[in-house]
Amino acid sequence: MAWEVAVYNLLSVLVYPGIIFLVALALFYQWVDRRFFAKLQNRYGPIYTGPGGVLQPLADLIKLLAKEDIEPAAVDKPLFKAVPILLLTLTLTALFMIPITGPSALVWFEGDLIFIIFILSLIAILAFLGGWGSTNMFSTIGGMRAALQSLGYEVPMAVSFIGPAIMAGSLSISKIVEWQSSTAGYWTILLNPLGFGIVIVAFLAELERIPFDIPEAETEIVAGWQTEFSGRKLALIRLTFDLELILASGLIAALYLGGPTGPIPLIPGIVWYIIKTLIIVLIFANLRALFARFRIDQMVSGSWKYLVPLAIVQIVILELLLR
Amino acid sequence: MSETTFTVPVGPQHPALKEPENLMISVDGERVVDVKIRLGYVHRGGEKAFEARNYTQGLYLVERICGICAMAHQLCYANNIEALLGVTVPRRADYIRTIIAELERIHSHLLWVGVAGHEIGWDTLFMYTWRDREVVLDLMELATGNRVTHATNAIGGVRRDLTPEMISQISKGMRHLEERVKYYASMIPKERTIMKRAVGVGILKPQDAVALCAVGPTLRASGIKRDVRRDDPYSAYDEIPFEVVTHDGCDVAARVMVRVGELFESIKIANYALEHLPSGPVRVRVPINVPAGENVSLVEAPRGEDIHYCKSNGTDKPERYKVRAPTLANWASVATMLKGGYVADIPIALAAIDPCMSCTDRMTFTDVSSNKMWHWTIEDLRRHSAKWHGK
Amino acid sequence: MQNEIAKSLVKKPSTLLYPFEKYESIPGSRGKVVFDMTKCIGCGLCIRDCPAFAIEMVGKGITCDMKWYATRCVFCGQCVEVCPRAAITQETNYDLASGDKSSLIFEYKRPRPS
Repeated sequence: MAWEVAVYNLLSVLVYPGIIFLVALALFYQWVDRRFFAKLQNRYGPIYTGPGGVLQPLADLIKLLAKEDIEPAAVDKPLFKAVPILLLTLTLTALFMIPITGPSALVWFEGDLIFIIFILSLIAILAFLGGWGSTNMFSTIGGMRAALQSLGYEVPMAVSFIGPAIMAGSLSISKIVEWQSSTAGYWTILLNPLGFGIVIVAFLAELERIPFDIPEAETEIVAGWQTEFSGRKLALIRLTFDLELILASGLIAALYLGGPTGPIPLIPGIVWYIIKTLIIVLIFANLRALFARFRIDQMVSGSWKYLVPLAIVQIVILELLLR
Repeated sequence: MSETTFTVPVGPQHPALKEPENLMISVDGERVVDVKIRLGYVHRGGEKAFEARNYTQGLYLVERICGICAMAHQLCYANNIEALLGVTVPRRADYIRTIIAELERIHSHLLWVGVAGHEIGWDTLFMYTWRDREVVLDLMELATGNRVTHATNAIGGVRRDLTPEMISQISKGMRHLEERVKYYASMIPKERTIMKRAVGVGILKPQDAVALCAVGPTLRASGIKRDVRRDDPYSAYDEIPFEVVTHDGCDVAARVMVRVGELFESIKIANYALEHLPSGPVRVRVPINVPAGENVSLVEAPRGEDIHYCKSNGTDKPERYKVRAPTLANWASVATMLKGGYVADIPIALAAIDPCMSCTDRMTFTDVSSNKMWHWTIEDLRRHSAKWHGK
Repeated sequence: MQNEIAKSLVKKPSTLLYPFEKYESIPGSRGKVVFDMTKCIGCGLCIRDCPAFAIEMVGKGITCDMKWYATRCVFCGQCVEVCPRAAITQETNYDLASGDKSSLIFEYKRPRPS
């Protein structure tokens, strides 16, 4: 019946694998990331709230939601109010196109890979606009750096997405995952490890994590473009930050590691998804602990001198191998 | 100043600063064009407080000028008063003072390496060096009774003797630290992310360094071999062989290497002093009233040359006590270092002089036109500010 | 640096889980100041030399009581050193924090014949 299908779709979008499930998973991944990062630095991380500290990210979120939301008089009010909400909605929209429970996502169409690239660029532009609208000199510097940084990582990231698309013969993420799990396919990382490396580095820059947390450099420009946001707006921005981690790791897992499918048939897809994305989260945390922060000019010039040529090289090698 | 520059205030509250000072930095995009430094946020009226306390109370006040340089300040004060009294401290006390001073230097430099790592975004180095610093703090607690603000010096010697048990513990700690410092010394030059942020940043040419009166590792990283322990030895430094570490880089990376080199030297000095510790008393009795006179004493604090001046008048309280801490001398070179660099380099260049704002602030007013000079206490400041805001 | 980080994964964290794990003070560290009023003669040398003005004499001379302000004390140990009868000692107890200021002013009364 039409209304049963409608209710089922609504529940899928809102609960599982929809918004509530994604938010819970985002907070869980933040806990994993913090515990692993702390262990690498020979300390504990959150251990008190809830069993083993698992509820700590939720406690932080609730605390931020309850705090006073200060809006300075000189900010650009519509922009200032809209940026956190837009960031959250864009990330959630992009997440609906990542396969989480099975080979096909909630929403898929031919070309949704390009759509995701578009959303990721929009997120970078929103970071710049958030800094610009705050009319605080720290925010302005942070916003400028966010825009500059996106100039650096966008091209290698997009080119490294094309590799799996060429191998699967489709521009839809769900189709790429289906191809990798089918009998004719295999995990794309086996033929293209260079692309995997490039996409990890490019996503470190997109997620604004060390060594590329330049737009938000705490010791240099206080909090970069996020300086003036407080209370509920900051809670939404922090939630976006965590959801972006799921987006990044889910996308890399779908494109390179075969997504929520695996060799053993009886285990549900969600388990494979969590295992693969956890591995990527741990890789990110390890890289965070290993490096210092780059300067913005070093990042952009390094990206154009090394990452872009390597990305082009990996496409050429792929073409040669496939012929 | 063109239309594209705007002023970024670094401080008084800023995550890059551990203590408040204000730098008004004019930036054009990412380039620093001009720097104006305003000091005075940690002024506490210490020099007036000295005049209201007798010399024994002053011992404990002087070490609270700065938490990390505490032993250096107290050593300088004790040397000052002992010179005015004309007493010589027993040799064993000199050696013990040297050991504790070098332990403090190790503590300060390890802390600095961690803070520098934090400034460039590398928290892992911060956590590791501060974990190793705990070894030094435990040794301090064993030898003196407290982790910081040790209060080991007394006028006439040291307050506590080193037992053989303490000496063996300190030696063990030195061996552990030497391994850790070797690891950092080998790792830091090879770590490309640090070197990319530190090489060529915060340049201070040798002639600028001398003209702007830089002191300490900041000066020695520009290739100039100046160290109070070598030029004007105090305590046991005239009998202990050690090298003055310099480096020719003139940038932040050179300052890192100078401090790491000094860590090795401090461990060697402490080991030598422990092995050659003479026997004897550790303290002599001194009278309460100090005869009238003036004296200046110098000490090499972890951050550079520390100068104390005392004027006594025959009573048990000093007439005037003046402190010139090393960071005050290094501020003038900060402006030269930051100009022409990037905004991203401000925290690391500032951290490279190892700023200790608590040491910095003493307020002296100079009226150039009438050639007068006067001082203000915290009460005068309060009165002035009440008048100024009230009108 | 990578293998140093990997080694940290298997080592026990260096953090002390205070207040569940207490820090063992090294004997000789300077903590709470205790007055032994059976030995005190009321000379006032400790008050003269205290840099923080943390000791107060209640009464005069040999019949006095002493009051110690933990809120002002800097735990330097000068009073311990200067007392001619060794009536002042320092424990290693550093755990003196309290929410109530009046509980941080310690009164040491002389034992009076009943």
